[in-house]
Amino acid sequence: MTVYIRNPVSLTEVNALEQSAVPAQIEFRKVTKMYGRVAAVKDLSLTVRRGEFLTILGPSGSGKTTALMLLAGFVAPNEGDILIAGNSVAAVPSYRRDQGIVFQSYALFPHLTVRRNLEFPLEMRGMKAAERAARVDRMLERVHLEDFGGRMPSQLSGGQQQRVALARALIADPPFLLLDEPLGALDRNLREQMQVEMKSLHKEFGITTICVTHDQEEALTLSDRIVVMRAGRIEQTDAPEALYDRPATCFVAKFLGEANILENPGFTVESDAAQPFGTVAMIRPERICISLPNAPKRANADQWQSVSGIVDEMIYCGPLRKYHVRVGSTVLIVREHVASEQQTFRLGSEVRIHWLRCDVRFVSL
Amino acid sequence: MKMFQTVGRMPIGLTVPAFTILFVVFGIPIILLFFTSVNAPAFSLANYQAFFSHPANVRVLLQTIEISIVATGICVIIGYPTAYLIVAAPKHLRVALVVLVIIPYLTSALARTYAWIVILGDRGLINHMLLDLGLISSPLPLIYNRTAVYIGMVHIMLPMMILPLVSVMMGIDKSLMAAARSMGARPLTAFWRVFFQLSMPGVRSGAVLVFVLCLGFYITPAALGGLPDAMLSTFIASQVSTSFNIARIAASAFVLLAVAVIMLSMFGLDLSHRQGSAGQPARKPWLSRRSPFGALKRWVNELLTPIRAKRWIDQLYRAGGDSHWPKIVGTVFVLLVMFYLLFPGLVVVIMSFSAGTFLEFPPSGLSLQWYRSFFGDPSWRDAAWTSIQIAVAVAILSTIVGTLAAYGLTRTTFPRLRGFLTMLILTPITFPVIVVGIATYLGLVKLGLLGSNTGIVLGHSIGAIGYVVVIVSATLANFDRRLEDAAKSMRAGPFQTFRRVTLPLVRPGIIGGAVFAFLHSFDEVVITSLIGGLSIRTLPLKMWENIRHQIDPTIAAVATLLMLLPVLWLMVLYVTWWRSKLREQPALLNSAI
Repeated sequence: MTVYIRNPVSLTEVNALEQSAVPAQIEFRKVTKMYGRVAAVKDLSLTVRRGEFLTILGPSGSGKTTALMLLAGFVAPNEGDILIAGNSVAAVPSYRRDQGIVFQSYALFPHLTVRRNLEFPLEMRGMKAAERAARVDRMLERVHLEDFGGRMPSQLSGGQQQRVALARALIADPPFLLLDEPLGALDRNLREQMQVEMKSLHKEFGITTICVTHDQEEALTLSDRIVVMRAGRIEQTDAPEALYDRPATCFVAKFLGEANILENPGFTVESDAAQPFGTVAMIRPERICISLPNAPKRANADQWQSVSGIVDEMIYCGPLRKYHVRVGSTVLIVREHVASEQQTFRLGSEVRIHWLRCDVRFVSL
Repeated sequence: MKMFQTVGRMPIGLTVPAFTILFVVFGIPIILLFFTSVNAPAFSLANYQAFFSHPANVRVLLQTIEISIVATGICVIIGYPTAYLIVAAPKHLRVALVVLVIIPYLTSALARTYAWIVILGDRGLINHMLLDLGLISSPLPLIYNRTAVYIGMVHIMLPMMILPLVSVMMGIDKSLMAAARSMGARPLTAFWRVFFQLSMPGVRSGAVLVFVLCLGFYITPAALGGLPDAMLSTFIASQVSTSFNIARIAASAFVLLAVAVIMLSMFGLDLSHRQGSAGQPARKPWLSRRSPFGALKRWVNELLTPIRAKRWIDQLYRAGGDSHWPKIVGTVFVLLVMFYLLFPGLVVVIMSFSAGTFLEFPPSGLSLQWYRSFFGDPSWRDAAWTSIQIAVAVAILSTIVGTLAAYGLTRTTFPRLRGFLTMLILTPITFPVIVVGIATYLGLVKLGLLGSNTGIVLGHSIGAIGYVVVIVSATLANFDRRLEDAAKSMRAGPFQTFRRVTLPLVRPGIIGGAVFAFLHSFDEVVITSLIGGLSIRTLPLKMWENIRHQIDPTIAAVATLLMLLPVLWLMVLYVTWWRSKLREQPALLNSAI
């Protein structure tokens, strides 16, 4: 039943898939949630397919946490309906839903051992003690915490706590898993390690997963599909690579990675496609090359656009260098990988920057 | 000499002034008292035998324990839901409710006891109303019985129960309950399995605190109870006033103390409430460690599994009609509790404007005569002035000494030593007050300060220092010590660092400590009645006499004026605490205990 969307697919392809044979597991139908007079979520419609890893990405206040709370049953929508496996759950309290949630702070019960924490959801489902114990043993083994069953959560490291939280969410075999900023509390190295681990767990269990985060890297690494939210509405839904490569709006372009928005740049932006009305040109910093002003012309020069500018700033960040190049009144960010025999461009020196015309994107404001 | 210098430079040296006062006024005398009780150096248990050989004594002892247990039980039963509902309330309402609980807590216990006399008395509010309605023909015996004692004691103790509970409950991560529900726990199950278990430390320390304070209760049972409701403190106090056979009194005091100490060590009193560290299961007292209920609980739990399994399948994705009843019942309950806590105060305020000549409620007319009688009577005025002088002196002395001690204790690197010293410094407020009073009496006799203002200041300070240490320690525990390192890195000396960085940041705690020290002294009647001799009349002493002998509404005027005090203090606290940050509310609550 598990379907993985690994290759970049266009928006139309995804829409086609949505209507395909893969059954929808979770569906938001024009859901609105008001807090006082403010709509935290407005007219949200979204379909999550079985086995999919979907990430809701957005800055704080974008309504992504409210969307998760609605799905978890902690708040009820004011308008619209939410369907889980065909059941309308708008008025169903959280404890009558079959789900696994990993909370931002993990919410491990501090007064119970790891083992008793894992047993909790099984107990609530009326599972017998012997069966519970067997399941807990299996699960502990799966998350490599065999020797930690007797410990209290406070005696575990952050990464271990995270694994216990994940194990507790998965142990009752819920049809879907909700992750609330699952890696937010971990340090960088551990986060990368956990990303890999979570991905393999998702593959292993094949469980529908909805993750809420503001961390774009987390979203890009883990997801099959990303929903970008802004001010209670969906800005764009797409597979990670498609989303990064072809952002629909200026907001998405800037929120996912860095973007040079060329709004009245002072030079004509050449492109293969015609610029639609109400859009601006955008180019990613890593798609721009930098060279000396008198460098020999490239092959296929007709496919490139080049402009000259002055180096305003150079930022060294390990594997790459970032240049701020001023072209007239516009400053473009250029990102270049550091190679051994490569020259650096000094501050104030004149340079030429060029990019492939096909790398220019048009995004709406 | 060199050793003394090293000790002096260590943080622990800062506790020396506090412990000097404590040992001289209270510590050494209580040890002497113990030796007296065993007839040292002969060493015999004759005094204890004498105590236990009188059936009346044993009856009073058992009665004291019984009354304390019942009062504590009522406090838990009323206090727990109240605290829960306060914590569940929206933020602004929660702050308001906490203030409404703190106001009676800060109000003079004498004034509150007096209020109950007004309400329950033969010509009091209830009887008056019932007579007027024609429901009864002669006044009901509402006062001078056990029920009245419970009503009065619970009224005084309830804030002591609610405040630590609120403080612990506020520290419980809300997402834990959400997590439990998301895993299929129904609201009641989630509450019982998660919230209740995590709030147990609050119940335990609140209950122990209330129980131990109840053991030493003196004023309320004496004022509201009948002759058969005497508690051990009343008994000891009457022993003091009639015979003063010090050995016998010492024996009674140590029997009472033994009960208190047994309770304290069994349940453990954690006045610091460091629940901030993710509710770590720290050192548990033995009682909760090997719980005989564990096996039973598991067994019942297993019995429930088939029911749970069936319900899980039956009710999955079933819409739940959210009932409004719990909300309505909760609101009514909180309103009733607040009414119970605040109404007596209101009655006293109204009484104070009575135009009648005797205790009568509601008053037949309004006048300011009782305020005139208070301000016009030099004995009242002098008593008030004496009390203010003493309380200010106590506040200054104990704030300085207590802050130093708190600073020294938090900076001590040996946790065992810190725990032990903190426990010692808190004995004057955790031991039954009558025991403290008798020990202090003995101490002041030795110092030749009995019946002097200095003596009373010292006698009040030993307790006040305890309050200051608790409150300032709570503030220091939240204090980020890296700030001091930062100051030192900028070339500030130790003194400069303290004055420019530490002091301003812990100032709210220090002011709070000073307020509590002032109130402790201004309210104190039991110790004062023992050590004041015949010459010194403080305001509470004068009120206490008045309550016992004549009960005229002058005391209502005094009580009203005393009730203005906590409102005033709350404003002081508001300015220093809430203004700085509302986030620190748990710290305030911690320290309020």
